[in-house]
Amino acid sequence: MREPRSPGPATARRVLVTGLDALTAHGRGAAVVQPHITAGRAAFSTVDRFAVQRHRVHRAALLPEAGTLLDELAGSVQRACGQAELDVRTAARDVLLLAVHSDEPTPQGPLSRALSARCGLPAVTRLYTTACVAGSTAVADAAALIASGRADRVVVAAGYLVEPIQYALFDAGRALARDGEVRPFSADRRGALLGDGVAAVVLEAAESAAARGVQALAVLAGWGRAGDAHHVVRPRPDGAGLARAIECALRRGGIGADQVGYVNANANGAVLGDSAEVEALRLVFGKGVGKVPVSSTKGVHGHALEGSALLELVVTVEALRSGRLPVQAGLRAPDPQCPLDLVRDLPRESAIRYALSLNSAFGGANTALLVGAA
Amino acid sequence: MNLVLARELGLSVLACAHWPDGPEDTVTPVPGFILSSFQPLVVEVAQRCLEQRAVADPAVRTGLLLASARGDTVTRAAVAAALAEGRPVAPLLFYQSNPNAVAGHIAARWGLDGPVVCTAPLGAGAEAVLADALGCAALLIEDGDADQVLVIAAEQAEQADQADQADQGDQGDQGDPDHAVALLVAPAAAHRRLVTRERRDQRS
Repeated sequence: MREPRSPGPATARRVLVTGLDALTAHGRGAAVVQPHITAGRAAFSTVDRFAVQRHRVHRAALLPEAGTLLDELAGSVQRACGQAELDVRTAARDVLLLAVHSDEPTPQGPLSRALSARCGLPAVTRLYTTACVAGSTAVADAAALIASGRADRVVVAAGYLVEPIQYALFDAGRALARDGEVRPFSADRRGALLGDGVAAVVLEAAESAAARGVQALAVLAGWGRAGDAHHVVRPRPDGAGLARAIECALRRGGIGADQVGYVNANANGAVLGDSAEVEALRLVFGKGVGKVPVSSTKGVHGHALEGSALLELVVTVEALRSGRLPVQAGLRAPDPQCPLDLVRDLPRESAIRYALSLNSAFGGANTALLVGAA
Repeated sequence: MNLVLARELGLSVLACAHWPDGPEDTVTPVPGFILSSFQPLVVEVAQRCLEQRAVADPAVRTGLLLASARGDTVTRAAVAAALAEGRPVAPLLFYQSNPNAVAGHIAARWGLDGPVVCTAPLGAGAEAVLADALGCAALLIEDGDADQVLVIAAEQAEQADQADQADQGDQGDQGDPDHAVALLVAPAAAHRRLVTRERRDQRS
């Protein structure tokens, strides 16, 4: 593995999380969904939102009576901003970054424009479409903007609600699990299932939060991005690309791998992807790879595509804050090639200081976000 | 104009290519990508740009930033049509369900192992799209995850059924044929200073 370099300017400012929110099939709001995710309560059911009879697989994790993507993104942003004690007057100079599949039309205009108008925030600055790492890519840019002094506060929103087009593409590509369950890291894993996922996070410079008297929920201690340079869609089998992203995040955070107390893994139940992630963790943690608790919460909420990375960052922050690490749902048969300390059976109590949220996507795009206790 | 934009962001342009490059220009099909002109267009302009670079240094981390206001509209329309008519969706279309896939093709072909980022810039017009893409690339380089970035801005010709959506505005160059530009950028020799809105130098 190529040695990563020291990232980021030495004078970088601390980046805090001061507000967050998540929506999954379990409900709206981080306080609502986190207990279900932590307990490993999978939310998959037969799709009734649109016709799936012609498809091979008929299951996904859907929020009953979900609104439009605009409605749900706006609700999530408003809840996150509420937690961060922001209002329109204080948000006038904030930056809003959005991670979605496209700037789709809505009755109120393009999604990006309608969202900022609905939330009373400035116009969306940039729209990320980097598939399953779109949200984490936006977070990394947000952190860079804050750390470098270009912005004091950035709101990042991301979302995907299961719809017919992507569902049909994933089904046609045989990426969905024929057995209707998501089994990350399990020897009998058969693939992914899609799920609703919307999230919003308020990132803020420590000076800005202190000046407003707002409590930090967590520190975004590090972030890293690297590519596989390997294949159109398949991950690099040796995990070197994801490992470089993790090393980058750890270096930014100024900590060693042995200080990481939990990894929220990307694993979505795909045979090749989960194995590549195991290899990446083996490269980073070395002989300690079996000592750090790991779980992929996609086994509970499904794969939310462009919404997934930000959703999983929220889950990771909440796990760190609560000291309760989410169960690895869907784990049925041990994989002899997987040496990880997966969180089995029950949530694990652990007073951790640092946690990683990992994501990988088509095109060999990898991201790692390092969260520290506030 | 591209050079001016890059220079303003503290970047130097190591190589540059456009498509079309003349009235009779063509695009080479790319095995594995079907129906849509988007992926071959992106590959073509990337190849023309990277062929101009000096010998690649394996120690240099090159990121890839693909910007497109509208993205691959043909693939989405093809899937929608298949669903509406009750036809099966071609399995190969899964591999072009998002812009990352063609970025991965280029990264693998040319050994670009820096970050892969795809954006849908919100400004109107090719210049605004490229400006946003270069700004994103400059941030990647300055933040330290990439030494160079291959920036590609690509738009397909507007489809007839997009006319209504185009009325919502800011969706790129409506009515233009397929077009793309690729720039390989690196930090300019004189490093740009980081200045906050309050004009405070963060590196002093």
